[in-house]
Amino acid sequence: MSTTWLPCGVYHQNYSQDQAWFQTNFIRGKMILLFAILFIGIPLVADDYVLSVCNQIGYTVLGALGVQLLIGFCGQVTLGHAAFLAVGAYTSTLLILEFPWPQVLLDAGLAYPISIFVAALVAGIWCVLFGLPSARVKGFYLILTTMAAQFITVDFIITQYVSQIGGRGQAFSLPPGTIKIGPWVIDSDLKVYYLMLVLAILCVSLVVNLLRSRVGRAWVAIRDNDISAEVMGINVIQYKLFAFFVAGFIGGIAGAFWISNLAAISPEHFPWFWSLWLVGVILIGGVGSIHGVIFGSIFMVVVMEALQLIIFWFMELGFAWAQPLFMDFLFVKEAAFGLAICAFMIFEPNGLSYRWWQIKNYFNLWPFSY
Amino acid sequence: MDLFLMTVTTGVMVGGIYALVALGWVLIYKCSGVLNLAMGEMTLIGAYVSLSFYSMGFPFIVALAISLVIGFILGVLTERIFLDRLIGEPVLTVIMVTVGLSFFFKGVVELIWGTDTRVFEPAVFALEPIRIGPLIIGQVYLWSFIAALVLLVVFVSFFKYTRWGLAMQATADDEMAALSVGVSARFVYAAAWAIAFMAAGVGGTLLGNINGLNISVSYLGLLVLPAVVLGGLNSVPGAIVGGIAIGILQNLCGTYLDRYFPGGVKEIAPFVFMAVFLLFKPYGLWGWERIERV
Repeated sequence: MSTTWLPCGVYHQNYSQDQAWFQTNFIRGKMILLFAILFIGIPLVADDYVLSVCNQIGYTVLGALGVQLLIGFCGQVTLGHAAFLAVGAYTSTLLILEFPWPQVLLDAGLAYPISIFVAALVAGIWCVLFGLPSARVKGFYLILTTMAAQFITVDFIITQYVSQIGGRGQAFSLPPGTIKIGPWVIDSDLKVYYLMLVLAILCVSLVVNLLRSRVGRAWVAIRDNDISAEVMGINVIQYKLFAFFVAGFIGGIAGAFWISNLAAISPEHFPWFWSLWLVGVILIGGVGSIHGVIFGSIFMVVVMEALQLIIFWFMELGFAWAQPLFMDFLFVKEAAFGLAICAFMIFEPNGLSYRWWQIKNYFNLWPFSY
Repeated sequence: MDLFLMTVTTGVMVGGIYALVALGWVLIYKCSGVLNLAMGEMTLIGAYVSLSFYSMGFPFIVALAISLVIGFILGVLTERIFLDRLIGEPVLTVIMVTVGLSFFFKGVVELIWGTDTRVFEPAVFALEPIRIGPLIIGQVYLWSFIAALVLLVVFVSFFKYTRWGLAMQATADDEMAALSVGVSARFVYAAAWAIAFMAAGVGGTLLGNINGLNISVSYLGLLVLPAVVLGGLNSVPGAIVGGIAIGILQNLCGTYLDRYFPGGVKEIAPFVFMAVFLLFKPYGLWGWERIERV
């Protein structure tokens, strides 16, 4: 990760200042302002459409965070992360629908929060299971194994077996009112938005905190050179598996969160495309940077929505060619996603976060940038 | 016993098609070190092109030839536009570019040809099956297998006996040495992509003849991965053996395991096999062993 230069005249005097969350008062103020905008500003001005776009961004952030942790910080490439999102979503749904909850917990509205936590644990363990080959193989072979995880989990176990539980057929629909946290029933985009904000902030803080601890330094050491990491006394396999666990844990949270936004969940919500999408998000945002996750998510979701609006606009203007494009927007989306990945890999391999870092440094060092 | 024989024979026939596509994959990896995840979409493009020309009334052979020519052009273009700039980049970058390419191709194919299943009409191969001893084989399978075999022989002899093929072998063996004796590496990369595109197109066309053609034919591109892992990532004979082995495995699982695990055993078995195989012999049967301590 690239370091940000401090403004002129600000120096750190000990290591804990180096690792502090808010390194200057200006940053503290900036973050408070950001939180104010997120928690108060956006809900005040946004309509349901904007909120649903924000929720998609949040879901992408939660999903891509685990991928970033594995690929960007631990160097373990995964192309099957949607499987762990699916495990989280299905665990949470099944717990809500089938588990005999005591009435006390139901009344207190704790069923959904507990199920999120259990779902995260299950997804984490499932992720470790498919991370086990990382003890023996790396690089392309690990990519193949995680791809196998996707097909085995989603296309086989979930589609063929888990979906049959309770005899509901393919899709599990959640009756209204079952997704409830404390006294609040999550039934509108606004409430999903707040849930998303809280979860995203918690998960991002969890990951950042892990990264600035011994664990995170071990991961980065493994990513940079696993042999020298082992020489330094890091238990490589243990830390790799722990990275898989945390990534799966966050993936589980993402999946369990997303059921609050879906009326019904089915295996089609977690295709292989989604796994690749998440990897694309971190590549566009920037590998090895938490900013990258957020920028990448915003970029991908907003660009796709904008593309849809533009095509819709052309259709309104009466261009004949726009009609089929709008009807089959999913295909346009796929093609655009593919081109975007290729373009970023070729022209801006460092991603958006690198640009952000450059802009920030420019202003921090201005006017004496030498 | 008849059932077993039938299953294995069908497996070998389908496996021939897999082998053809796997050959293209191995070629790209051997020559340029690119791990290509866009193989499935390359099969789609070739298959749809030949289907379009066949429906326009061209004879099947001509349609196939046109798809070969278009595959050649697209292969060279893909390599020149996208992959050429990425020589020397990290593995993940290159893989993700091929993933991006696969989405791009897939989106374009879906936009042009839609997602409905299309069939070759009138049927290219006669419908009545052939009996060989106790075996009953659909003509489609037999002719596909023969076509795949012929192409495999053509490609392999191209590598063994022609000047260009030898140049490609030399580059795969030692790029620096090949460069120093005047082999153009950029030419070799482009040729590898062109041949892979052509092989994939033929594979897709043959498979489209068997099951009808829709977007799920691109699954073939993923099936190639277990095949090449089994044979070794950079072994041409390995790709052929691996392709046929995966075809047999798939059909055996479909016949015998479907009773116990209803549903998609046939689709999933190669990947389960691959995941387990990777744990024990990650370099495949004939791949180069790079001793790497993990």
